[in-house]
Amino acid sequence: MSLETVRPTLPAAPGPSWARRNLFNTWYNGLLTTVLGGLLFAGIWLGARAVAGFDITILEVNLRLFMVGEFPRDQLWRPWLSGGFLAAAIGLAAGLIQAGSRERAARSGLPFTPTTPRDVVRRLAPVIGLVVVLLLLTRTITPTLLTVVVAIVGIVFNVSGRRLHSRWGWVGVGALVVAGYLSLAAFGGVGWEDWGGLHLNVFLTLAGLLFAFPVGILLALGRRSALPVIRALSVTFIEVVRGVPLIAVLLFGAFAIGFLLPEEVRPSQVTRMLIAITAFEAAYVAEVIRGGLQAVPHGQTEAAQSLGLPGRKTMALVVMPQALRASIPPMVGQFISLYKDTTLVAILGIGELLETSFVVNSQPDFLGKGLFVVTLAFAGLIFWVGSYTMSREARRLERRLGVGER
Amino acid sequence: MTDNGTYTDATKAKGEPIIEVIGVDKFFDGFQALKDINLRVGLQEVVVVIGPSGSGKSTLIRCINRLEKHDRGRVVVDGIELSDDVKRVQEVRRETGMVFQQFNLFPHLTVIENITLAPRQVRHVPKVEAEEMAMQLLRRVGIPEQANKYPGQLSGGQQQRVAIARSLAMKPKVMMFDEPTSALDPEMIKEVLDAMVELARGGMTMIVVTHEMGFARAVADRIVFMDAGQIVEVGTPEHFFTNPIEDRTKLFLSQIL
Ligand SMILES: Nc1ncnc2c1ncn2[C@@H]1O[C@H](COP(=O)(O)OP(=O)(O)OP(=O)(O)O)[C@@H](O)[C@H]1O
Ligand SMILES: [Mg+2]
Repeated sequence: MSLETVRPTLPAAPGPSWARRNLFNTWYNGLLTTVLGGLLFAGIWLGARAVAGFDITILEVNLRLFMVGEFPRDQLWRPWLSGGFLAAAIGLAAGLIQAGSRERAARSGLPFTPTTPRDVVRRLAPVIGLVVVLLLLTRTITPTLLTVVVAIVGIVFNVSGRRLHSRWGWVGVGALVVAGYLSLAAFGGVGWEDWGGLHLNVFLTLAGLLFAFPVGILLALGRRSALPVIRALSVTFIEVVRGVPLIAVLLFGAFAIGFLLPEEVRPSQVTRMLIAITAFEAAYVAEVIRGGLQAVPHGQTEAAQSLGLPGRKTMALVVMPQALRASIPPMVGQFISLYKDTTLVAILGIGELLETSFVVNSQPDFLGKGLFVVTLAFAGLIFWVGSYTMSREARRLERRLGVGER
Repeated sequence: MTDNGTYTDATKAKGEPIIEVIGVDKFFDGFQALKDINLRVGLQEVVVVIGPSGSGKSTLIRCINRLEKHDRGRVVVDGIELSDDVKRVQEVRRETGMVFQQFNLFPHLTVIENITLAPRQVRHVPKVEAEEMAMQLLRRVGIPEQANKYPGQLSGGQQQRVAIARSLAMKPKVMMFDEPTSALDPEMIKEVLDAMVELARGGMTMIVVTHEMGFARAVADRIVFMDAGQIVEVGTPEHFFTNPIEDRTKLFLSQIL
């Protein structure tokens, strides 16, 4: 069976754009375009700086703060190692997903378009461009070399993931993520209490969602529970949290948890923020999943019941998988807003990316130089690249989920 | 008033009664959907239920596997009386298959996964064995080549045949059908009816809500005519086609024939 079949069922996609035909027609061309684009951007930046007297030294000397906060200089190998593990995890996961849908397509005769290196370069163009900009701000060759190594690790794992069919692959992804965390925090490393910069924003987003997801599922189910007590508790939690701005939940987390717990067991500020974020996100995740549950026709439950499936299995094997699938697009939207909202922990003086972009302006070298524009634009660019890439991927996913498996 | 006894005498059950519906009433928020329903179905018997829209046909068969709770009376399936006892309900559902108008296949599972899900999860049949049985059933309904497709890739007629196979995979003692062909394009009705006829000839006990009178004539032992929540008349297909007694029956038959 040909794997190259195009999807005939897709809604008529607009023809490839001019850029796609000319700048991204092969993967190396795409890479070239992206790198040159990054260089062009940097050139404009440098030109503007020369003309307007902008000084980007503030970015160069503080790049570490922007990226990983106050991580000790002699420990910087840890974020790099961790980045390698994460690249491996992401590469492997993407490969496994590809292998899975290829296998499913081969079995069912559904059309399948393999993701080519060219697609990857095109889809990740903003990220690659950002990496080029970041590397231009470094002063030695080492970061560039390490970046190349990390990228190669990701590619190698991706390629092997595409060949793997077993579900052990996913265990591998989990192990790599854990290894990524341990390489930062374990064996004399730095725990998340002391993380900062972009790294902290990404961590709070990922960990917040990871913890909020199961809690959200439980809340969504609790809201439909036959037991009035559980239902009331779930509804109250969801509605109260949703009726309050995130910043209030964060402040509540910061002060109430500190106030309620004795000093010995009082968690760090970052941990409190993580708890608050989890609680907040769980309420939203619960609502997203509730929407997904409502989208599953009642006939599905009846069919499962009439086959003799008990209630739990009906939920776990028939209704929830469909509800989760329907929840993916709004969930990604939630994920993107969380990514941006993690900047709010700055109110507690936690040095995440946005906070850093303010704080560096009070360094003696830059005080009173009015470089806020530069630092804020820099932080904004980083957030934009992340959000934009995610929302584009979400739209792609939405389109894909619309076909075939429904 | 239902004069059940009179008409049921016209046909004797082939076997021991496997379904007994005794004096059942059903209310939806004060609206009475079933009024004193009495119906016995014997082993290997094929009963066709007809009646105008809203007469309570679906509600009746849904009370038999407790997708709806009856409010008064008794429903006994293969000796198990339905009550709030979840275990018994489960037991009855394992023994009764149901095919719906809208197929209700699980869209996220392939055809073969649809069929093997319940045997594996409920009867704990090993995977290989369940798949063998599923393939056998698919051959019986004539679509073994669709085993690895998703329901969305199949035509309506194929989907409904998968739904029949899915129910049969639980080895039920009774199969219930709720207007299995009324959501289908005309050219697909026959393939589904053929599968049902084959099932009936094979000795399956069946309760079928349908207005396909050709099917009724071919395999029904009895036809039950319902109107306004009541059983109005019961008899052989012969009886219905030649000399129905009640005026309501005559009127209804004149509309559908
Ligand atoms: N869940 C429900 N809630 C309220 N009323 C209901 C419900 N289900 C059925 N009814 C009502 O009960 C009556 C009988 O419905 P039922 O679906 O059994 O009729 P039917 O004979 O199957 O009709 P049709 O041929 O349209 O399928 C109808 O008046 C219907 O409106
Ligand atoms: Mg009906």
